Amino acid sequence: MELLNVDSITMKFGGLTAVGNFKLKILPGELIGLIGPNGAGKTTVFNMITGIYTPTINKIYFQDRDITGIKPDKIAKAGIARTFQNIRLLENLTVIDNVMIGFHLHLKSNLASAILKFPSYVREEESIYHKSMELLEKVELEKFKLEKAGSLPYGQQRKLEIIRALATGPKLLLLDEPAAGMNPQETKELMSFIQKIQDDFSLSIFLIEHDMKVVMGICRRILVMDYGVTIAEGNPAEIQNNPEVIKAYLGVDANYA
Amino acid sequence: MKKQNEKILTILALIVLGILVYLAENNLDAYKLRILNLGAIYVTLAVSLNLIYGFTGQFSLGHAGFMAIGAYVTSLLVLPPYYKEMIYILEPLAWPFTVIHAPFIVALFLSGLFAAIAAFIIGLPVLRLKGDYLGIATLGFAEIIRIIANNIPRVTNGALGIKGIPEFTNLWWTVGVAIVTIYIIKGLIESSYGRALMAIRENEIAAEVIGVNLTYHKVMSFTISAFFAGVAGGLFACLLTTIDPKAFMFVMTFNILIVVVMGGLGSITGTVLAAFLFNFFLEYLRPIEAGFNIGPIKIPQVPGMRMVTFSALLLVVILYKQKGLLGGFEFSWKGFFQFINKLFKNKRSSEGSAM
Repeated sequence: MELLNVDSITMKFGGLTAVGNFKLKILPGELIGLIGPNGAGKTTVFNMITGIYTPTINKIYFQDRDITGIKPDKIAKAGIARTFQNIRLLENLTVIDNVMIGFHLHLKSNLASAILKFPSYVREEESIYHKSMELLEKVELEKFKLEKAGSLPYGQQRKLEIIRALATGPKLLLLDEPAAGMNPQETKELMSFIQKIQDDFSLSIFLIEHDMKVVMGICRRILVMDYGVTIAEGNPAEIQNNPEVIKAYLGVDANYA
Repeated sequence: MKKQNEKILTILALIVLGILVYLAENNLDAYKLRILNLGAIYVTLAVSLNLIYGFTGQFSLGHAGFMAIGAYVTSLLVLPPYYKEMIYILEPLAWPFTVIHAPFIVALFLSGLFAAIAAFIIGLPVLRLKGDYLGIATLGFAEIIRIIANNIPRVTNGALGIKGIPEFTNLWWTVGVAIVTIYIIKGLIESSYGRALMAIRENEIAAEVIGVNLTYHKVMSFTISAFFAGVAGGLFACLLTTIDPKAFMFVMTFNILIVVVMGGLGSITGTVLAAFLFNFFLEYLRPIEAGFNIGPIKIPQVPGMRMVTFSALLLVVILYKQKGLLGGFEFSWKGFFQFINKLFKNKRSSEGSAM
């Protein structure tokens, strides 16, 4: 049974079709890449899956449940977490708060018990704190727990954002250009980190990436988009030799090359 | 510092505050007490506005409206029925209000409750707006409340207002309510729900995809904020003993907003300090209006000079302390003792160098 079933969705903004007939099935434990030139509609696909946009036509199913048009917070609760291309941390809050907020959607205590600090709430808060610290230790950010998230170096902000997404307890993780702005060494670490969290949390991961080393290195299945349409799908070797893909990226006919 | 010790210190501080209130109530004249009372009411108002604006990041200008609701509810409940019959001269008071009567504490609670219900009803649609648009919409709401109060004389006595409200409000009430407000709002801020509110302030889209239900949290924050504004409105009515719709013009909201900005968005300690400073300055700048001499130069009597001076002072604060007097600073016992320790160390080291 597939985890996510995107049933040929289309997103139109006025007369512009940003994404047309996008189809995708993700099985549990898969690691899938989405590539394509700038403006191809990759992030729009993410925005539709996470509920920020509602597809104009057709539906999205997550674990056989129709999630089309549901608000982002409900989709997060269902088990889809994401990061953003331009990192969206809670910059003025501390690093630990950024992670702890990820556990809020599973909070059992009600408002009154949280305000008046009932023992049941205090226990829950402590357990959230410990779980957050464990997550921070995975990316070696525990010593910065009281720093403001916005003051961290760029690479660590990316890691923190991934950790925060993991705190929501997802089954499917969407990563929007996780390697953007990283040097080769950081990129290498990121690749093994992504594979590690996939195993540790038994996740399915769907990622957008421009760095071909990352995509070709860790994804077994790759989708290529151009002008809102999926132009190719297959394993890394197939994608590298696909004339359509080469045309989309280099802008010349494959025969000339 | 252990949690237990902090609790004991807090209780001791409250006892000291109680003694101070007792001394003030028995020794100060009515004028000074009025200023202190207003200061404490402003604490309640400004801390509650800080919850929705400073912590949740929603620019709300509806506080005067919620205060008005609270003030009228309290007035109608605490006035004795026979007296109400006397003062409603434009048109007789409508039925349920002629007979209802409640003790002050119940009236205050109901004031908050009605303000909260109003906030819930208008919050659901209005809190979808962002930034300035939300400010304009909530400002409009406050004006609507004021105009309704002006135009239903059978309930509010119209533009004549309600006079002779029993003067129940004293420092015990105002300070007590301020402490309860701070306790509850601080409790909220320091909980997982408070983190969710601050997440909304920081980045709405990020908050939403991490699973923060925007509507629930915004409306919750707005409703709690309005509850305390309503209670403060009740205290206000029983302090001034007379209310009319003009008392709840938008200037009232801006006064509260000034306190919040002056004290620092997102700082409860700063808000408390600014609320008292605001009321002290507003009163003690009065002599400026009467005209005075600087050496040979004679400054004539200018009505409104006080507000000009006050605005200038405010400008200085905004120019040099953009984040308010205390910025994001918050009082804590731990910080307090660290400060004391540092003071003593400095003293000792300076003594050492003197020898």
